[in-house]
Amino acid sequence: MLPPSALDDIKVLDISQGIAGPLCARLLGDFGADVVKVEPPGGEAGRRMPPFFEDDPDPEKSLFFLLCNLNKRGVVLDLEEPEGAALFRALARSADVIVESFQPGYLASLGLDHASLEAENPGLIMTSITPFGQTGPYSHYKGCEIVTYATSGIMAISGTSDREPLKHGGFPGHYESAMNGMLATNIALLARDMTGIGQHVDVSMQEVVTSSLVINQPNYSFAGGVQGRRKPEGGSLGHVTPCADGYFVAQEGGSATWNDIANFFGREELKDERFSNPAQRMLHGHELDEIIKDAVKDRTMAEMFRTASEQFRMLFGIVQTPEDLANCPQLAARDYYQEVDHPVIGKICVPFRLFNLSTGGATCRRPAPLLGQHTAEVLAELGRAAA
Amino acid sequence: MADQQQAPELPLKGLRIIDISNVFSLPYAGGLLADLGAEVIKIEGPARLDVSRGGAFSGVYPDNEPGDDPYNRTSTYNLLNRGKKSLAVDLRRSEGRQILKDLIKVSDVLTENFTPRVMRGWELDYPNAKALNPNLIMVSCSGYGPEGPYSRYPAQATTQEATHGLVHATGYRGDDVPSKAGQSFVDFLATWALVIGTTMALRYRNRFGKGMWVDVAMYQLGCTMVAERILDWQVNGRLAERIGNRHPWLAPQGCYRCAGQDEWCVVSVQDDEEWAALSRTIGQPDLAGDPRFATNAARMQNHDAIDAIISAWMAGVGKFEAMDTLQAAGVRAAAVFDARDMHVDRHAKARGLMETLTFPPERAIGKRAIIGRPWKLSKLPLSARGPGPCFGAHNREILCDLLGYSDGHYQSLAASGVIGSEPTVPRPVVRMSMDDRVRGGRLAYWDPDYKQRLGI
Repeated sequence: MLPPSALDDIKVLDISQGIAGPLCARLLGDFGADVVKVEPPGGEAGRRMPPFFEDDPDPEKSLFFLLCNLNKRGVVLDLEEPEGAALFRALARSADVIVESFQPGYLASLGLDHASLEAENPGLIMTSITPFGQTGPYSHYKGCEIVTYATSGIMAISGTSDREPLKHGGFPGHYESAMNGMLATNIALLARDMTGIGQHVDVSMQEVVTSSLVINQPNYSFAGGVQGRRKPEGGSLGHVTPCADGYFVAQEGGSATWNDIANFFGREELKDERFSNPAQRMLHGHELDEIIKDAVKDRTMAEMFRTASEQFRMLFGIVQTPEDLANCPQLAARDYYQEVDHPVIGKICVPFRLFNLSTGGATCRRPAPLLGQHTAEVLAELGRAAA
Repeated sequence: MADQQQAPELPLKGLRIIDISNVFSLPYAGGLLADLGAEVIKIEGPARLDVSRGGAFSGVYPDNEPGDDPYNRTSTYNLLNRGKKSLAVDLRRSEGRQILKDLIKVSDVLTENFTPRVMRGWELDYPNAKALNPNLIMVSCSGYGPEGPYSRYPAQATTQEATHGLVHATGYRGDDVPSKAGQSFVDFLATWALVIGTTMALRYRNRFGKGMWVDVAMYQLGCTMVAERILDWQVNGRLAERIGNRHPWLAPQGCYRCAGQDEWCVVSVQDDEEWAALSRTIGQPDLAGDPRFATNAARMQNHDAIDAIISAWMAGVGKFEAMDTLQAAGVRAAAVFDARDMHVDRHAKARGLMETLTFPPERAIGKRAIIGRPWKLSKLPLSARGPGPCFGAHNREILCDLLGYSDGHYQSLAASGVIGSEPTVPRPVVRMSMDDRVRGGRLAYWDPDYKQRLGI
């Protein structure tokens, strides 16, 4: 018997595709919700996303799909056929939340949008996560990670000023949108707990990433300033710098003084007048770069991370790889990875726990469902509920 | 059905949050919770002002004028701390901590982002805080979490992005050196996790009658953003390479220079149909059937050649024209927005992500646009409920009206400097003209007509 958790009374239907919508539904499941993933015959697009287990592009072997669809049961229904739509409508009558990511208007064309479904279930919450939101002139534009990055404003300030704007690696805009989908769903649930009334939640991925630009945005509305990309050259501090076995980033600030930083690098000349304050250091950035690069050329990331953090209280980061993260003792101490047993992939440790709670924290109860694995089970429950 | 005419009650109305957090992550979460109706009391020390009140992480002053109280005027402070009350108390003194303890007893939520040893040292970590208020929800945000080998390591988003794996994933294709994200990336993941945790803890308390501790470590959140790369290494032994703006398994994708100053447009072709549409749109329909480009595998192989073809077309069009033309043909394409576009673009205007804060006349700031929230709820209209509070503005209200301290007690706390209404250690004030900011590389440009464009 699991301890109670915040959402263990909530039923979720996940009809979304790809990363952001499915991951949002999974996060609700992590905190106890009963999540049923409804896929079309053939499976949703997420099953075709690399990386695959042993590089085999089988729809049951996408590791990305596995990650986004933990803690769900899976059914197959064709929403474009009358029978499938009718069964979905029946499921929606007893659902609390539907998560979807179709192009705006698609569900309405099937009579399955929030306005149609809430007539039979006034408490229903529908959370839509789409590239540009449900309204506005771009709402029908097609999106993807780089489109979200470009239109959010973040890409214009990433990379260097002598080159093109640079997207961050991977799919952070999708992950961030999943988190905001869950956040807004929680708010809708709190509101419903007071009123009994559900609502339609409209999450725009463009706006999610824009919302992280808390310096860039008001620079404009307060003084007309428009941030750009950083200059390609500059002091070693605050930038990625090579050392014996990789790269690191050191930053001024926190409780470390400049003297501490000079001592950490072990170079007396860093205490010279020419480096004595931030303006001087910026002016002599090139010389600073050369001294620091030379000082660290035989030092390893692991040693420097430990020494800088423990002895000198410096703000210090090392460029860790996925391998480092897979073997990280800090993540282990936080109970971050969870093992699941997938019917096709077998036992696998997945990056799982976003944050920790003293009670009712995230639990990993199921692997991702096989296509249609629970269709009979879920429809039988529906039949019992109707009887 | 509820009466649609009546504005619905905000879901966190009647809830009191004590917010002793600093910088970006947790202060922003508190601002969003204030939008939802909570009474959020921001506590700072007279000698320990929030970092967003001045210096490198504070943004700019209204019209670049610091004024007499620069610490109340910074742009980023007012965005993050919208709708809060301000109490200035020196928590390093036991009399100050007594005020905090009295507040904990009459509040629902306590939020803090000290390194974990600070609250333990003050005997105000969760077990101790819970003893003061058994149903308390405590929300902590730290770099690495209170346990584990890195627990005591100083952390800031700008260095953590290397450690949590984002830097390794980011960089121009072909460069050996990875690239930084260029902003405090992981702070905002924490903001959202903190609001998720708080709202979930509230629902838990409503259902089961018990508080809890929400323990957010930024590192974990950052690692989660590269989770699929971790799985690829674990299962396939692959360390995915840095590919710049390209897509890991679809082609073509890139960021291309358009006509105009620093104008760029991204394109991402995700299937053969989209490739055919792109080919037609750029006036080269034959490319669709060209064996070098006909399949995704072929396009991955011949990506450089495609980049040259797209670049040639892009050079003759503006970024918005490129976006609209390609999207009309069904091709994923998008202008690279800068901060001005974020405010004045037609979609941005129609959606209204930016909200206008009206400052009281005595603050001489006028009206300013700030980021609202990236989600809309169809039956719960939300808005920021006011600007960031002036330093110590609510000292008397909170101590005398809420906690019932006598006037004599209040006066003695003020006289001994336990509370204050002006900073004793100011934040740095950056006095630099907008033109100098551009020359120094801090800004790409500045727009003297911004007020007119924003209608403020």
